[in-house]
Amino acid sequence: MNSPLINVCDISKTFVLHNIDGREVTALQNVSFSIAPGEHVALAGSSGAGKSTLLRLLYRTYTLTSGEINFRLSSGEWVDIGKLTDPEVVALRGREIGYVSQFLRAQPRRSVIDLVTRAGVSRGMSRNDAREHAAISLRRLNIAESLWEIHTSVLSGGEKQRVNIAAGLISPPRLLLLDEPVSALDPENRERAIDLISQLSEAGVAVLAVFHDLDAIARLATRIVVMSHGHLIDDGPAQSILPQLQPTDVHS
Amino acid sequence: MTQSPIITPQAAIRVRGLSKFFGPIDEGAIARTGPEFGTARDPLSGSIVAAWDVNFDVAAGEALGIVGESGSGKSTVLRCIAGDQPSSAGSVHLMCHDEGRTNVLDLSPAARRKLRIDQLSVVYQDPAEGLSLGVTAGGNIADPLTAAGWRNFEAIRVRARDLLDRTEVPLDRMDDIVRNFSGGMRQRVQIARALANNPPIVLLDEPTTGLDASIASGVLDLIRGLLEELDLAVVVVSHDFAVIEMLTQRCIVMQHGRVVEDALTDQLLEDPQHPYSQKLVTAARS
Repeated sequence: MNSPLINVCDISKTFVLHNIDGREVTALQNVSFSIAPGEHVALAGSSGAGKSTLLRLLYRTYTLTSGEINFRLSSGEWVDIGKLTDPEVVALRGREIGYVSQFLRAQPRRSVIDLVTRAGVSRGMSRNDAREHAAISLRRLNIAESLWEIHTSVLSGGEKQRVNIAAGLISPPRLLLLDEPVSALDPENRERAIDLISQLSEAGVAVLAVFHDLDAIARLATRIVVMSHGHLIDDGPAQSILPQLQPTDVHS
Repeated sequence: MTQSPIITPQAAIRVRGLSKFFGPIDEGAIARTGPEFGTARDPLSGSIVAAWDVNFDVAAGEALGIVGESGSGKSTVLRCIAGDQPSSAGSVHLMCHDEGRTNVLDLSPAARRKLRIDQLSVVYQDPAEGLSLGVTAGGNIADPLTAAGWRNFEAIRVRARDLLDRTEVPLDRMDDIVRNFSGGMRQRVQIARALANNPPIVLLDEPTTGLDASIASGVLDLIRGLLEELDLAVVVVSHDFAVIEMLTQRCIVMQHGRVVEDALTDQLLEDPQHPYSQKLVTAARS
């Protein structure tokens, strides 16, 4: 196996609810695993298992309670994501780590093509290159050219999700976190999105993903990590874990 | 300290230990005020610790939010940086002024006013603070331009027209008195004026508070677009998390004159750490 891009070592997350009598809610406990470049790791487990918590900890949307998240920079140096300063995280999020959520975040009055192009520019592409790649992705995701110049706010849910995928995958960062990226898509558009996502692995991008259906996992994952009640209970090649999974293991 | 392997952009504004008191303050007053005591007012002396030991950096192309309820000290911090209020302690270094070597808080009032011409602009909640309401939109923009040495009438008109166009003020209103403008339109003129001399730093104090929701979202869109295009270093004070979420990547939370949390904006909204931050976010989300 390739040397890992990210090493998650014994991480735990406990929320302290100060305004509800200081109640503590542990969402994740002693989780360890790693991801190498080109690997596509799918997170499985029933609702509340800690899958989204894990994605958010890696992106630093959640703060870590204990453990280490060691990430190998493109310079080859290692950093512990949990210990970075906020400005360092902002810098890291630009080109090294990306997060594609289920929903397109509100960016009113931005046209579809502009939104995707800017995402490419923000990751270091030239404007022309970014625009060209944006057009290719939008076509592949079946977003009609007549929609390219309109504001994203008026798109349908499925269109928004595809635009979000196009923006998230253009000039992809080295680690991509996918949180139910195809949940709102009809079968045909879902196929197209899955095709595009599958190319990430060929491009050497490390992916950690949560999907709402087993079929997406079967199509994309090279490895599956199974979570239950905040613990990692299984981690192995997709072909050996997939047969054991139930449909209830993917509901978020 | 070892060098971080992650390169972060250089600070355009560096604020260290910024503090503002009203009335005589000793160490005891500091120890008797703040979040643990539920007040910024020292019960013994009656003095107020409006802001204590505020620290942050903002880079070009970045916006930092300051959030908190009224009376938390957030606007005080902004006004001390702007020079609208004298500060009591601390330092503010601006990369655009003397390459960041001078603490601008030590400058003379005249020198501080000069910074406001083309180094640092403020957009206030109340347009009457940032504009002369009895003057035309064009005249309001001409004002900072002439202060910066512009003398050619036609060039000033062209620049004013360009700025009003950019801030989406109908050009046929350029020669109307600002008092006759709607709230949203006044705010757009104020933004146009703030940008007149291309300052690298812009401070926004509740820029959309008091506007109707639909008007506020238009002004917010405008500000966000300008932030991205002009590579500004921005500090935005707001009690409104929708504004903070849309404009900033990082923020600080203030309560009773103290910074109780500094955070990535998404982290503040999803996983606030301090009890006060949790209360604010819960209130905003319900």
